[in-house]
Amino acid sequence: MAARSAEALLGVGFLGIMATLYLGFQWAPSVSIDAFESPAAQRIFYWHVPAAWAAFIAFAVLFAGSAMWFFKRSPLGWRLHVAGAEAGLACGLITVWSGCVWGAAEWGTPWDWTDVRLNTFGLLTLLALFLVLGRQSQPDGVETRDTFSTFGLYGFILVPLTYIATRIWEIRHPGPVIGTGDDSGSLAGDMAIVLLLGALSFTVFILGHILMSMRITGLEQRLEQVQHQIDGGN
Amino acid sequence: MGGRGSIDVGRHGGIHMAEALLEIEGVEVRRGMGVVLSNFSLDLHSGDILILQGINGSGKSTVIETASRLLPLEHGAVKHHGKMTIDSDGRRVHPRHPFGLVLQSNGAIGSETVDAHLSTVAKLCNAELDLSALLDAYGLKHRSGDKIAYLSGGQARKVSVLGALLPAMVAESPTLVIMDEPDSGLDEQAITTLMTHIQSLAAAGHAFLIATHNPSMMAIATHVHDLEKKIEQKPNDAKPHKRLGANAPARWVSTRSAHRYARTTRSGLARNGLTALMVLGCALALGDPAQLPSGLWETGGILAPAFAAGLTGDPTTHLLREHRAEDWWRAQSQPTPAAHGLGLAIGLVTTLAACYIYTGGVDLALLALGGIIGETAMLGTRLLHQSTRRLARPNAVFIRLLLPVFILPWALIVSWASKW
Repeated sequence: MAARSAEALLGVGFLGIMATLYLGFQWAPSVSIDAFESPAAQRIFYWHVPAAWAAFIAFAVLFAGSAMWFFKRSPLGWRLHVAGAEAGLACGLITVWSGCVWGAAEWGTPWDWTDVRLNTFGLLTLLALFLVLGRQSQPDGVETRDTFSTFGLYGFILVPLTYIATRIWEIRHPGPVIGTGDDSGSLAGDMAIVLLLGALSFTVFILGHILMSMRITGLEQRLEQVQHQIDGGN
Repeated sequence: MGGRGSIDVGRHGGIHMAEALLEIEGVEVRRGMGVVLSNFSLDLHSGDILILQGINGSGKSTVIETASRLLPLEHGAVKHHGKMTIDSDGRRVHPRHPFGLVLQSNGAIGSETVDAHLSTVAKLCNAELDLSALLDAYGLKHRSGDKIAYLSGGQARKVSVLGALLPAMVAESPTLVIMDEPDSGLDEQAITTLMTHIQSLAAAGHAFLIATHNPSMMAIATHVHDLEKKIEQKPNDAKPHKRLGANAPARWVSTRSAHRYARTTRSGLARNGLTALMVLGCALALGDPAQLPSGLWETGGILAPAFAAGLTGDPTTHLLREHRAEDWWRAQSQPTPAAHGLGLAIGLVTTLAACYIYTGGVDLALLALGGIIGETAMLGTRLLHQSTRRLARPNAVFIRLLLPVFILPWALIVSWASKW
């Protein structure tokens, strides 16, 4: 049953993401041509923002898993750490890639090394890449788990920093458009619907991804245990 | 047995302080995914020669590394001279008394000379001595000026074993010596000399924890431990060893050693200096930097070589990963060697060169900024590298993926400095 739920969530999430892509490009209204340098490119936000949202969920899972392993030696915590890092990498890459496409059209440059949010989010993605590649380069053991959990714990500091970055230093990145508390940044109704669908779809997809990844890690651990038993261990 | 600090008359045929030099109290240690030691305890007193015996993989080296404070503890604590040095809460305190250590790997950097390595060990014990007689006893006198990398495997092992005996030989008070298969690779004569030294040093009140499979080494044990229980053997009736050398307080031993490593191997120049020159060379390859208008790009070009040199990291970090030298240093009471100030020096020199190329003059403020950037970037990179040292394969991990964390601060500094 649990095995099926991961596939179901992945399937539903994937369909929702595709629907968001279609609605974002075909149905959502255009922004005012005065609002952006490249108004058409703005449609990529229907993927960019939900992907970033899903990445934050994944990084929160990574943080929780790292803490559970580091302080409680919980095997479930380690599986959450691995799943959070992999899901964070997937969503982080989607966010960075879509952001670069938009930046190239809107700013004339895909990247700005002085923009705080851009850089802190890029670093979060690099951290996830480091954790995924690093784990694959080491034999499984408490030393490996302790080291990468420490990076997971300290790296999470970038999440709130990324979140508040545009509120403190609005260099290139646009400020918040939802939850600003006034009408200045509010979205039109149809735009909000597509964005909400995107956020829900990415959330469902990332939960499926995390469940699937945890199952794979569990199977890897089982395989290692069986190999150890065949080798004559306890 | 008397309490700590009391006199215990008659143990091992001599008069010794009954203080435990080493106490391992109910430790649990995990390696990989397995628990290697569970609720393991051991104590070692002045005059003891305790030999750990057991088949390969039974946990002897884990006991040695636990006693040396190299492994994190799941439960329990390790005390040296009655003071906690590491416990399961993650506290790790430098032992107040230096101790001798030889691990399975030699723990010595190949580019060090025999003389320099052993002198460093003596300095860590705040002592100095003439090493000739000692080197002669192990047939190494004629190789004292040679780099350890040029010695045979057995000769290099002798140097490491001597490095473990030295803290006891120069000490005025009972000293702990921890040895993991010290006889490995040694010839018969060297093993005989080693056993004589161990017995005489133990008779002088020092204590030995040794892991070995060698039956002749077993013969000198006052106690044997099979990782379950400690069994008393025959007492040691050797003549006590006389203290060697004289007191010579030494400071900044690890930093001085790091600079010596960087200087003798020229790795600071080869790694950091050349990286900075490459960055400068790339800028020159694109045209005449002097034609650039002053501002962001010019300031960035001037400060880029120092930044790149710093990001290359501390050259000693890589040298210390040779033969587990970093573990040897980490076990000792000193911080691991780090070439503090090298980033500053390289940053100053490269920024000076870049300043001259870009502006035809020298800007002292930029020069200072270049030095600070070089040192800070090197410090940050060093910390990143040190954070992976517990891993089984630290060189295989992609730690450099995290280096871009330094780009944003550097870019903001360049942006700020360009407005001067």
